[in-house]
Amino acid sequence: MKRRNFLQTAGAAALVTTLPAPMLRARTAEEFHIAAILAFSGAYGLIGNDMRKGAELAVAKRGGMVLGKPIRFTWEDDETKPQPAVQKASRLLAEGAQMMFGAVSSASTLALQSLSTQRKVPHLVTISADDAITKRDGAPYSFRTSNTLGMEVNMSMEFVKSRGLKKIYAVTADYQATRSGFEQFAELAKAAGVEIVGNDYAPLGNRDFSVIIDKMARSDADGIAVMATGNDGITFVKQAAQIDLGKEKVIFGPVLQDDVFAAATGPAALGVNSGVRYHYSVDNPANKAFVEAYREAHGAFPSSFAGEAYDGLSWWLDVVEETDSWDVDAWVEAFANSVYEDSVEGRKEMRACDHQASQVGLWGEVVRGEAPMPELTMKITEIFPAERLFDSC
Amino acid sequence: MSTIIIGLSLSFLLFLLSAGLTLIFGMLGVINFAHGALYMLGAYTSFQIVQMTGSFWLGLLFAPVIIAGLGALIEILALKQVYSRDHIFQLLLTFGLILVIDDATKLIWGLDYKQVPTPDFLSGPVSLFGSQISSYRLFVIGFGAAVSFGLFVLLDRSKWGMIIRAASSDPDMARTLGIDVNRVRTGVFALGSYLAALGGVIAAPLVPIELGMGFSVIIDCFIVVIIGGLGNIRGAIFASLLLGMTRAAGYTYATEWVELLTFALLIGTLMFRPAGLFSYKGRTA
Repeated sequence: MKRRNFLQTAGAAALVTTLPAPMLRARTAEEFHIAAILAFSGAYGLIGNDMRKGAELAVAKRGGMVLGKPIRFTWEDDETKPQPAVQKASRLLAEGAQMMFGAVSSASTLALQSLSTQRKVPHLVTISADDAITKRDGAPYSFRTSNTLGMEVNMSMEFVKSRGLKKIYAVTADYQATRSGFEQFAELAKAAGVEIVGNDYAPLGNRDFSVIIDKMARSDADGIAVMATGNDGITFVKQAAQIDLGKEKVIFGPVLQDDVFAAATGPAALGVNSGVRYHYSVDNPANKAFVEAYREAHGAFPSSFAGEAYDGLSWWLDVVEETDSWDVDAWVEAFANSVYEDSVEGRKEMRACDHQASQVGLWGEVVRGEAPMPELTMKITEIFPAERLFDSC
Repeated sequence: MSTIIIGLSLSFLLFLLSAGLTLIFGMLGVINFAHGALYMLGAYTSFQIVQMTGSFWLGLLFAPVIIAGLGALIEILALKQVYSRDHIFQLLLTFGLILVIDDATKLIWGLDYKQVPTPDFLSGPVSLFGSQISSYRLFVIGFGAAVSFGLFVLLDRSKWGMIIRAASSDPDMARTLGIDVNRVRTGVFALGSYLAALGGVIAAPLVPIELGMGFSVIIDCFIVVIIGGLGNIRGAIFASLLLGMTRAAGYTYATEWVELLTFALLIGTLMFRPAGLFSYKGRTA
């Protein structure tokens, strides 16, 4: 190859790799390729697998097509870490993926969000709850259709007020998102005249809460706020039940329990209260159709993770279809101003200011389920309207 | 007083988790990275037994025996091939075992959480010194103390212990005395696996059973083994008590400092007694 040809080829290659992804694929879209970066192993492996089931049903519902082209997923495991998430997503974008879906952990999601902004590629978030993901005038191509931790903390305080609790002892998993959650909760408590009689920060992944539980039992608190989820939340509830903490005090948390966590906790979870992201029992036609399809496909009721993934992706693909265009900016513009009346949770409205879906908040208590429901299930006890959970845009 | 009781329960739980690791290192010279995976497998196996029989006690009885059998197989089929090689081969082998055990567990039990309920008669609290103490925690203290005493007697006071120590310190001499060193090594690895699984069964009513549970305990196990002295059972008991009591006091008075205190103990030991508080050299000095 002559030197001039080599330089031209190399220059063109360099240009292509630095162009925003939409410019590369505008003329060549033979399929709608979704780069799905989820956790299929590690701490959140279960969540990623459930999200995949929900997302696949959302695509199956529309015959596997959007804009007249087949939808193709590429599933990648980020191992619940930001670095593999970005590496794998970058490769898929280089292969022409039209959008990113994921991740599970907020750290991975924030990493994907930076990539989305840099490459101008739409990014759909349906589970990560860190408030930083949907900041005002934040990432322009990134959207969240699921709950924020902030709205779940607001729900917790609404619950405290409705139950008439006056003194709260809290335990907070020691990492950024839950620390912020506790600070928000403490401010709300102060405004509501509720006293925080104690708070202990426990290391993330803590396996023994017995000393903290003992301090809680000896305090005069009437409510126990648990600012932790997943393994930490399950471990706390299991160990609290061993000294009957829940008999004397009301145990609750913004994301402490759902059907998956209740099954892992066992009977110790009975009576625990929590915010719920999605629930199969929500009574509307869209949810009934989804639950029926999910049970037929997987022989079980959908989890929060599956429900949120199904809902978010269905909404996004509907909006893309309505644009009748392969222009990425048209999709983003349309989604930023869209309302989803067919949500499995009722009605959702995308906020143009922060790309966060405004929605109702579900609150529930763990109760015994009757067949064919799971043995332990969330009973939705309260549905908070969006106006009580979100600040105005 | 409740802090001391809870500290004891933390300590004996730590001891049950780390005893197998220290035994295998002390007697075989193998740093078994798969110890956490065997602990996890013990918890899953007890879950399966509880599902089938409804009895936690049958799980406690049989799950460690099953995992001990698996440990013996691992030693015969894999570990035996690398004793004569550099330590790095043992590390790589036991690291590989983690991946195999994790994937096998995923295939058999899936990704979802499992749970083992606390046995009925240990599920309630007991009033002690003005606090409500979990009956199960008291059981952990008693059980852990019994296991540590049993191990001490086995290794330091019995003929079996003498054979194990002889095969460990001078295998050639042991062979000339008619001891089947290969069988002793298999037995030691099986016993270490038994103890790992025992830790998993005891922890099962306290934590969710999931694929990451082995990884989360292995760091604590190594801290105990390093502080106590590599391969020293008495050291492991002391280190578990030190760590458990430090954590109990830390959670009572300065929760945010607990991790710092834990690692300060580890760093202090490495700085001033690099071979551990109960290393052989340390004890004879």
